[in-house]
Amino acid sequence: MSNVSNDYAMQLTNVAVAFSGKTAVRDVTFNVAKNKVTSLIGPSGSGKTTLLRALNRLHDLSAGAVVSGQILLEGTDVYGGAISVTELRTRIGMVFQKPNPFPAMSIYDNVVAGLRFNGIKKKSILDETLERSLRQAAIWDSVESRLHVSAGNLSGGEQQRLCIARALALEPDVLLMDEPTSALDPIATLHIEELMSSLKERVTIIIVTHNMQQAARISDDCAFLLMGDDSAGELIEFGPTQKIFNDPNDKRTIDYIAGRFG
Amino acid sequence: MMNTMQHDANGTTSTRDYIRQRADQLRARRLAVSKVMIILCGAALVLTAIPLVVLIEQLIVRGVSQISWGFFTQLPQSPTLSAPNAVGGVSNAVVGTLALALYASIMAIPVGVLTGVYLAESDSKFAEAMRIVAQTMAGAPSILMGLFAFSVFVKYMHLGFTALAGAFALAVLMLPVVTISTEIAVRNVPSTLREAGLALGVKPHKVSLRIVIPSALSGIVTGSLLAIARAVGETAPVLLVIGGGYINEWRPLNPVSALPLSIFMGAKSVWPAQRAQVWGIALVLVAFVFILSLTARLWAGRSAKGRK
Amino acid sequence: MSMRTPNLTNLSGRSAENSSAGRSRGWYHWLLVAFGAVFAFVSFAFVASIAIYSAPAWAHPGQILGGSGWQSPTGPYGGLPMIVGTLETSLIAIFLACIVGLGTSIAIIFMIPKRLRTIVATLVELLAAIPSIIYGLWGFLVLAPYMFNHVDPILNKLPFAGTIFGPPGQQFGASLLLATFVLAIMILPTFIAISREVLAAVPNDLLEASYSLGATRWQVIKDVVLPTSKIGLVGAAFLALARATGETVAVALVAGGVARVQFHLLYPGTSIAAWIATQFGEAQGNEISALMALGLLLMILNFGLSLISRSLVTRQRKQLAKV
Repeated sequence: MSNVSNDYAMQLTNVAVAFSGKTAVRDVTFNVAKNKVTSLIGPSGSGKTTLLRALNRLHDLSAGAVVSGQILLEGTDVYGGAISVTELRTRIGMVFQKPNPFPAMSIYDNVVAGLRFNGIKKKSILDETLERSLRQAAIWDSVESRLHVSAGNLSGGEQQRLCIARALALEPDVLLMDEPTSALDPIATLHIEELMSSLKERVTIIIVTHNMQQAARISDDCAFLLMGDDSAGELIEFGPTQKIFNDPNDKRTIDYIAGRFG
Repeated sequence: MMNTMQHDANGTTSTRDYIRQRADQLRARRLAVSKVMIILCGAALVLTAIPLVVLIEQLIVRGVSQISWGFFTQLPQSPTLSAPNAVGGVSNAVVGTLALALYASIMAIPVGVLTGVYLAESDSKFAEAMRIVAQTMAGAPSILMGLFAFSVFVKYMHLGFTALAGAFALAVLMLPVVTISTEIAVRNVPSTLREAGLALGVKPHKVSLRIVIPSALSGIVTGSLLAIARAVGETAPVLLVIGGGYINEWRPLNPVSALPLSIFMGAKSVWPAQRAQVWGIALVLVAFVFILSLTARLWAGRSAKGRK
Repeated sequence: MSMRTPNLTNLSGRSAENSSAGRSRGWYHWLLVAFGAVFAFVSFAFVASIAIYSAPAWAHPGQILGGSGWQSPTGPYGGLPMIVGTLETSLIAIFLACIVGLGTSIAIIFMIPKRLRTIVATLVELLAAIPSIIYGLWGFLVLAPYMFNHVDPILNKLPFAGTIFGPPGQQFGASLLLATFVLAIMILPTFIAISREVLAAVPNDLLEASYSLGATRWQVIKDVVLPTSKIGLVGAAFLALARATGETVAVALVAGGVARVQFHLLYPGTSIAAWIATQFGEAQGNEISALMALGLLLMILNFGLSLISRSLVTRQRKQLAKV
């Protein structure tokens, strides 16, 4: 592994997360390549989502959560003092499992919410960002004519793409996606998977998925996590997706891929 | 025509830089505003707590000195110029309050509980209408219950001022509260319990009486105790119809006194000793209400734990 | 006071296999319905009796609604001072209570750590359990002299004091403003209890999404939580307002009990409930009807506010269920 930190979007070293003393995930070390899709796979309970949420410091909101180890964003320690939490979250965006547009806001307000939170009010910037983000999320044509209706009127798949547009509006370096298609129907899932290849040209994507086939389809690199005997998740193996799926090093990876864990 | 994101080979993009620069400039101010507003909300919390603290403190400081054995056992006296501190006790009010609580409970609790059971087990339009009626009545001004009792007992039945009238007013006050809390308690019983009983062939009414309602009993008792606690403290309903009095009276067809009434009259007294005594009565009333409420909540909490 | 649990199976319409079960289902079911009917009857009689006994006063509706003086015992009985007093004190009280109450609810949910939250919630409930007479007593014997000696002089020096508070010469302690403050304190717990529930019902993932976009805590509250729960908060306000209109003895003790239409806040006035409470003792005949008529007005006002509140809170719950 190279020591030049700017080659990688993020670098994780011995990362562990514990809640009120009980470890949920530990021994995670890997590097996330820029402009690539890195997937976190593994059965439920292996700590994938917990790990993902440590990256944008979402655990700061949970009393009793302790994140140890080192997480670097383009060389800067995410948990160090050099970067504030609010600034960090403009550089790392997040899309959640269940689409969660703000119900009291229109489509327009939803997409530019991130800009407004950060104090940006200039209409030309908002409008430009709006169209760009909605196009990137492949939903511009569908909502262009109804930007000021409530976001609740959209279908599930459209809502999720709206949330993707909302996250992209701040032009983050990294986009975290927590099982973004598990609540959607197959067609909506397909639409979002198709987005990935165009999205990764602009952002680095880290995606948690419990769907192996999806990981095989869309990701460049793959991290496989598994719950250990102490009910804490740990990183079993990390590498290019091709390798993980066709020629993994660890027996446990082989078993999972072959479907013995499911 | 909108520009899509400008992206050249060096990776600099004008909108992204603009966004980040602006955000950096404004960040400190946003965080400061957040801190200030949260602190203001904390101040609001303190502001809410202040009256409670001050009130309790005054009650204790001014009220404790009034409490004595005689306070509970003696009848009130009228102070005179030569004996301005001869105020006596409030046994008449204590007796009256207990009597009112008893009669009101007898009138309100059985009807309220059974109505609550009805509402919990029925989805008819009538039941839905009754639910709305119960909630609306529960928020009705208590003085109206006094007017109601006055129309029925004093005017219509020509009974004059009686404990029964006061108890009736309090019962009308308690009825919707008991109904609502009973309905909630019965609905909170897991439906699996009822289904299991029915599946075993037990008749529906027995399922209700032997299985579901006993399960909800702690919630029902809690609700009833809280209703009594509320009724005991109410002045307006009894003010109009119980008549007051200075003897230990409890019989239903006679005028009685009550603790809130004694407070109301004593507060406006010209005698300082009577105004001071009122704090003792207030302390007793608040203590009574608190003890009843706490008992009710502890009961609910203990039973919930026992069920687990 | 909200039914949030799912409906149990309807008693009628299930197991009809056993005919004896059908018969016993019959008597039990009808017994319960009978009690429902008793409840309905009592509620109906409640409204009807007050309406009936107020009938004589409605022969001159303009008097009871618009008359500006109340001559006891002969009449005429004008209800305008009471109506105006009720509206003034309740509306200003709800305004104050909403500001302080909303800040308190926000503090409880967003500042207090979870484990302490039940303690704080219990303390707020204790505030609600204190009987109104106690507030009235404290207002009359403690707050009134304090305000008269320390606060009123300051208020009287503010700009426009003459218009809002009235010339100081005729102030003597008991006033509409005092009643307003006492009312505000009394309805705080009601507002806090409901608004707390409404705020807490905003789904957590909306908060997480906001934080993930770089929002500060206050921005999450102001731009996401409050707009999302707007409807329920208004419902909470209506319910607290309903409670304020019905408060009797506290207002009776501190408002001064003067039947004059009063817009100067540091002058004495009265409210509908307080007036009924203080006048009823010595009232006869037509005056009783007039007081009953005031009671009917209060009932309509209170029920209207309650029902509006109920429909708003229901609408809020439905809206969140769609999310």
